[in-house]
Amino acid sequence: MIIKMAKIEIVGPKDLLLDTLELLRGKGVFHPEADARGFVRPEDEAWVKELLLDQSAIGEKQFFVALQEQIRQLLACLPDLPSRTSYLPPLPIIDVLNELVDKHLLACRNWQQQCHALREEADRLTGHLRFWRVLEPLVADVVEHARLAFFGVTIRNADDIPKLRDLLEQQTEGRCRLSTTSIDDGSIVGLITADLNMEERLRKLLFAEKVPELDLPKELAALPFRDKPTAVQKLLDRVAAELQEARAERETFAHHWLPIYRQTLAWLDERLSLYQASALAYETRQCFLINGWMPSEGVEELRQVLANVFAGRVVLSVLELHQEDYDRVPVLLRNPLYFKPFELFARLLPLPKYSSYDPTPFLGLFFPLLFGMILGDIGYGLLLGVLAGLVIRFCPQRETLVDAARILGVSAAYAVLFGLFYGELFGNLGEQLFHLQPIWQERSRAVVPMITFAISVGTAHILLGLLLGIHYDFKRHLRREAFVKLINLLLICLCGIWLVGFLFPFPWQLTWPLLLAVLLLLPVLIIAGGLLAPLELLKSFGNIISYVRIMAIGLCSVLLAQVANQLGGMTGDLVAGFLVAGVLHFFNLILGVFAPTVHALRLHYVEFFSKFLEFGGRRYQPLEKNHQTTVTHSK
Amino acid sequence: MENLDSVLLAFAAALAVGVPAIATGWAQSRIGSAGAGALAEKPELTGTIIILLAIPETMVILGFVVAVMILVL
Repeated sequence: MIIKMAKIEIVGPKDLLLDTLELLRGKGVFHPEADARGFVRPEDEAWVKELLLDQSAIGEKQFFVALQEQIRQLLACLPDLPSRTSYLPPLPIIDVLNELVDKHLLACRNWQQQCHALREEADRLTGHLRFWRVLEPLVADVVEHARLAFFGVTIRNADDIPKLRDLLEQQTEGRCRLSTTSIDDGSIVGLITADLNMEERLRKLLFAEKVPELDLPKELAALPFRDKPTAVQKLLDRVAAELQEARAERETFAHHWLPIYRQTLAWLDERLSLYQASALAYETRQCFLINGWMPSEGVEELRQVLANVFAGRVVLSVLELHQEDYDRVPVLLRNPLYFKPFELFARLLPLPKYSSYDPTPFLGLFFPLLFGMILGDIGYGLLLGVLAGLVIRFCPQRETLVDAARILGVSAAYAVLFGLFYGELFGNLGEQLFHLQPIWQERSRAVVPMITFAISVGTAHILLGLLLGIHYDFKRHLRREAFVKLINLLLICLCGIWLVGFLFPFPWQLTWPLLLAVLLLLPVLIIAGGLLAPLELLKSFGNIISYVRIMAIGLCSVLLAQVANQLGGMTGDLVAGFLVAGVLHFFNLILGVFAPTVHALRLHYVEFFSKFLEFGGRRYQPLEKNHQTTVTHSK
Repeated sequence: MENLDSVLLAFAAALAVGVPAIATGWAQSRIGSAGAGALAEKPELTGTIIILLAIPETMVILGFVVAVMILVL
């Protein structure tokens, strides 16, 4: 149901604006209106203007924005640790924090840079260590000598090794040695041993051939070849210890200051959103005005709270709701427990206008009915009921799924009910096994009665839609539209009576009076609704015939079930027959969930709702904590 | 002659339901592909797309009614 809204004006002295907004946000029921049209009386418009913050408020806001930015930067430098709740209120310490935050930010940035540099160093040394560990077996084969030079290189491709070896042979006239091995990531490392006086020449060659040479820290360059891995390991341990120390220092700082800064940031966010919300307000010389909407049921409570908190200085008034306001009243839907799950289907549609109807109760009443008429099988209904129960039992935390299961449960109950009417239990299995007889009709053999039934259901549904449409048009003072709908309704009734007389002849003759009535009403319809009005009537007839799908899809379902039973019986084996029939019934059941759902929804969305629902309502979005308000002024 | 009438009636009924079924299939293929594209960008259009996709089915339902009328009446 669409909750009744009240048009609200809140007035108070300017110095209480932010406190009032904070209170309203805490209550979470007030939907502010930026557009002052219809709120301010025309004779008062000269006195009322958009509220502009004074110099001190602007200064305060700028101070808060700057501090918020600094705290955000500081928090970005700190690790995201879980923190305790701070019991220090932010406002009294805000000046101290403003002085401290610069120093803290500087310290944190230093730690961050230090950690970054140490991490890079550790990565580099880890690379070296891995390299030297791989080279260790090669080094063991080489006799270390003062007149020998060593180069550690990485070779990208194994195919390059013979080429490099040839080049080295040529440059050194055979006085060098290249040993290679591969490392974990698939790349190849090599150790070149050559005469010391060839060192420069070889370095140039490696540079020209783009063979990267291992670059060691300077302090390790002078060390003997065999000692290098141990020295790199020591260096790496030292860097890791320094990194750990820097991190520990940063974490200790974070443990001390994170709770305070986080709480202050949250407070600043709240405070600045109040400034943002204040842009929705209007002002006179002395007072502020906030216009908006809220559910009527909560008005008295909010009035009392405002009176108590501000000692009567802030006043809430309920303004009269005019016809032109209806299109901008925000819409809040709230439904009783039974209808609530059906909001799942209503959400697929745009929001209805405030003066229109909530589609949810109609879906709640008619969707399961149409679903049951289409599926209409005791066995399928029971299986779907069990499935719905299992979902509700085992997935209670998944709200959407539980809502869907509740809808399925109700629809399954109707499927069982209509299954009894049609005498169907897994198609004709009930008849074969238990001599189950239909209470009303056997669908597979009663095509015409089922068409008549479906069209009757459609006529009743469409007539109800037209009645609601007439009510809606009257409510909105659209008398001509209401009159056209009334003529449509009468013409449909007359045609219905004629059809009934045709199918079940009356003892008295009605054809001529009916024809006369139709001939009288048609010109009235054209005069009232224009030349296109008869088209609307034809559309309504099309809508009614569309309900034949209730019979058509139901017939497909029952025939598929019968085919499953027949094929199962033809196997001549109990287990095989059970499997064949089971698989086919399973597929039919899946179709039996989707097809009736889609078609029952379509009958509502296209045929039924088009007769009376008007979409395009505004969503109710009250001022709430952590809710950003978008402001667009137009006066 | 009576047999020929029955054959013609059955053929007419088959046409009455068959041609709208093909037309519905074609219309739904176009709407379905366009709808899938629209849903990829705007999932909130699910309801509208379901409605659009279900609209052409009226053709085959009307065809079915006509076929039943041909055979039964």
